[in-house]
Amino acid sequence: MTSALISAIKRLHISVVPQIRVFSSNAVSVPSADQQNTLTVTKKDWAFKPQYTKPREVWIENIDTIEEQKLGLFELHPSVYAASPRIDIIHQNVVWQKKIRFVSWAHTKTRAEVRGGGRKPWPQKGLGRARHGSIRSPLFRGGGVAHGPRSGKTHFFMLPFHIRLNGLTTTLSAKLAQDDLHIVKDLILPTDNPDYLHDLIEKRNWGPSVLLVDDTDYAPRNITVAVDSIPHVNIMPVYGLNVFSMLKHDTLVLTQAAAEKIEEQLLKWLNADTRTQQQAYKLNQV
Amino acid sequence: MGSRQITEKSLSMLRSLPRISLQNIRDNPNSKLKNKRGRGQHGGDKHGAGNKGSGQRQNFMRLGYETGNNPFYLRIPQEHYYRGHHLRREYPPLTLHNLQKIIDKDCVDTSKPIDIASLIRSGFYNFSPDLKQFGINLTDEGADIFAAKINIEVQWASEQVIAAIEKNGGVITTAYYDPHSLLLLKNPKKFFESGQAIPRRMIPPSDLIEYYTSAKSRGYLADPEEISKERVKLAQKYGYTLPNIEKDSDYTMLSERKDPRQIFYGLEPGWVVNLKDECILKPKDQELLSYYNS
Repeated sequence: MTSALISAIKRLHISVVPQIRVFSSNAVSVPSADQQNTLTVTKKDWAFKPQYTKPREVWIENIDTIEEQKLGLFELHPSVYAASPRIDIIHQNVVWQKKIRFVSWAHTKTRAEVRGGGRKPWPQKGLGRARHGSIRSPLFRGGGVAHGPRSGKTHFFMLPFHIRLNGLTTTLSAKLAQDDLHIVKDLILPTDNPDYLHDLIEKRNWGPSVLLVDDTDYAPRNITVAVDSIPHVNIMPVYGLNVFSMLKHDTLVLTQAAAEKIEEQLLKWLNADTRTQQQAYKLNQV
Repeated sequence: MGSRQITEKSLSMLRSLPRISLQNIRDNPNSKLKNKRGRGQHGGDKHGAGNKGSGQRQNFMRLGYETGNNPFYLRIPQEHYYRGHHLRREYPPLTLHNLQKIIDKDCVDTSKPIDIASLIRSGFYNFSPDLKQFGINLTDEGADIFAAKINIEVQWASEQVIAAIEKNGGVITTAYYDPHSLLLLKNPKKFFESGQAIPRRMIPPSDLIEYYTSAKSRGYLADPEEISKERVKLAQKYGYTLPNIEKDSDYTMLSERKDPRQIFYGLEPGWVVNLKDECILKPKDQELLSYYNS
């Protein structure tokens, strides 16, 4: 089993480096000297310092030109952006998001609800036929359905708190590891023309579907107008970030402020006392 | 290979694998329990309930019923040492070993007096006042390794425990809280959110007055003079030199006690804690003041 796995890895031509430098852009060109003067390199001092792993470094990009410019280097916390990529946790989160709002309206009639069938179809004895009491019994054609679906069945359940938390970190980490997570300085576009956004996405090899996340729930006019007419490019505030939407879109674009806010919130909950959050879900709980 | 390398390795593997999307995720194999009740011609046979009779009908008899025999609970004579067990006070134990563990894990602040509220906040002790549980019984397990200098208030303590704490230069008090006060100490936030004034702590019931006024048990109603005499006596009995707490740098912390009517450290009865505006409202009316000070 192990040898099969090792040979499979060899076939993939992966070299395992203890510390990976993840570049968020496909072009790995070093910026020129005059650009380097304006390059901001942010070293962060977290409340919960990373243990055993080094912070991930990503480029801060711009979106006010179609050509990519690197505005700076940015550090991301490895507990949030380089967590173990657990596909099963991602799957559990997606299933939960689908089920939590789902109400099944499938409905069948029981033998009591099907019209007729009150009369005994034939006498109990003497005819040589099987005994029956109703023509709407589940055994009859046109009869009621035994144990069929009844409408208004909710599929609501609550996923454990830490699985929800790890779902976010896992998905963010997987996105970053696959070069599908980009950090931009802000969401200011020079024009509200959707073609500009189309060209930008194509030029940078993003997408096609792109999820833009900002830390506020209002955005500059140009980007909202441009995004509005492209169905596969969507914009979302930080508090709406979820596993399903991140997977639904090919590329995730975070503003610098959003990336910091996500990091801050997830780090807070990863290190907090979550006994109340872990308690069983109660209806009408405060 | 440590878990860090596993994470790094799987993240670097992901780089050359197809993009994770809604279409290619799945749960771990066999992680879902299958429905155990088989269906169909042979799967749906007896479902483990056996053939015929009471067992097949799943007629689970009431607890203690022995199908007509004189049941066990009536057959044996009554045991009177359990009489009134539902009325007796219970003190869920906390060992000195566990207390040392809580202190070593930095889950409780030893630079402040420790009471039942701070121990519950540490997450390593819990109790339910509604089950007639009246607080902490600090027990002597781990007394020989106990090495912290603390000012602790518990509800019950033995002589060995008192000696173990005083040997390290600490102070112990046994104090009575009525069930309502304990409920407040168990979840102060819930009480403060209700917007009620902090009540007075009730005085102990008649059968506990002796314990809590005795200097030997370091009762909170005992005479401080007597207590300091008893401290010396206990040091002589157990053969340790009593550290002089008057000359200690933490003397103010070690000498801090609650008022017999007080429930929370730093908060007096009658005060209302407003968590929303982060302020404390104090009564000014003379009638209220005289009520809460009595």
